[in-house]
Amino acid sequence: MLRLGSRPENMREMELDDIFISRLQLLIIMTKSYLNKYPLGSYRERSILENAELVKVDAVGLAEDIAFFGSDEDFHNGLNFEPVFYQRVKLLAVMAEAFAKGHSLEEHKQEALEKNLNTICETITFSKTISDMQFLKVA
Amino acid sequence: MREATIIANVKIAVIDEDVIVRDFIVSTLMYSVNRDILTFDNGFDAWVSFEESGFPDMIIADVNLQEIDGLALVSKVKQASPGTVVVLFSDLPENETKVREKGSDAFIAKPFGVNELFNLVQTFVVEQDPAGDPSTPA
Repeated sequence: MLRLGSRPENMREMELDDIFISRLQLLIIMTKSYLNKYPLGSYRERSILENAELVKVDAVGLAEDIAFFGSDEDFHNGLNFEPVFYQRVKLLAVMAEAFAKGHSLEEHKQEALEKNLNTICETITFSKTISDMQFLKVA
Repeated sequence: MREATIIANVKIAVIDEDVIVRDFIVSTLMYSVNRDILTFDNGFDAWVSFEESGFPDMIIADVNLQEIDGLALVSKVKQASPGTVVVLFSDLPENETKVREKGSDAFIAKPFGVNELFNLVQTFVVEQDPAGDPSTPA
């Protein structure tokens, strides 16, 4: 039997923060695939649009929480990111929606997308490469 | 170099009463295989659907389900459709042994993320095409 996931001592229910980070990682992979010119398909487009919308809504909500609670010590943002990080995530989601809808991104926009993507990856220390996911080359 | 291809018209079902976790799994799998994903919030509805419409290639389910739980579902599915891959997930370490004893193909310990789901696709859904033809499934 294949075993995946957390070590036994780290097992617990998944919280909203876990889902936000996981969905953000999925959005990063979707964007890297687009930048690598991997093929899209109707269900992939739908998945990107749904995922981008959920990530965007969460990012806006988390940024508002920071703005509202400020330095209130009773408020614990478990993710502990700066407000600008959520703006970057929101921008990534908007650009992902654009390419999923078939809008072609000009070269300078692709460069901006890649730069934003790299900054987000550095912040969450996510370094997943898509080169080992050959199945993404098939739509 | 051999090209990876996805099982043609692959059919995957996700069963979990937690809609937030279920939708995350569905988004990841739908993107991975570029196919629609069947979803259910309890084991009974899933079982009835499988009996009526045929068994999927892969089932991913929470151990803790209403009416027919994940452990019971593994036994029933493996008896009715031995070729169906069954993957169970849980937040309780003690469930891992139970899942193994029931004959599940994989166990995912919560919390998990995209890497684990991509790993499932790579292991159970991707076929190696000996001709090296990157054909697109219909």
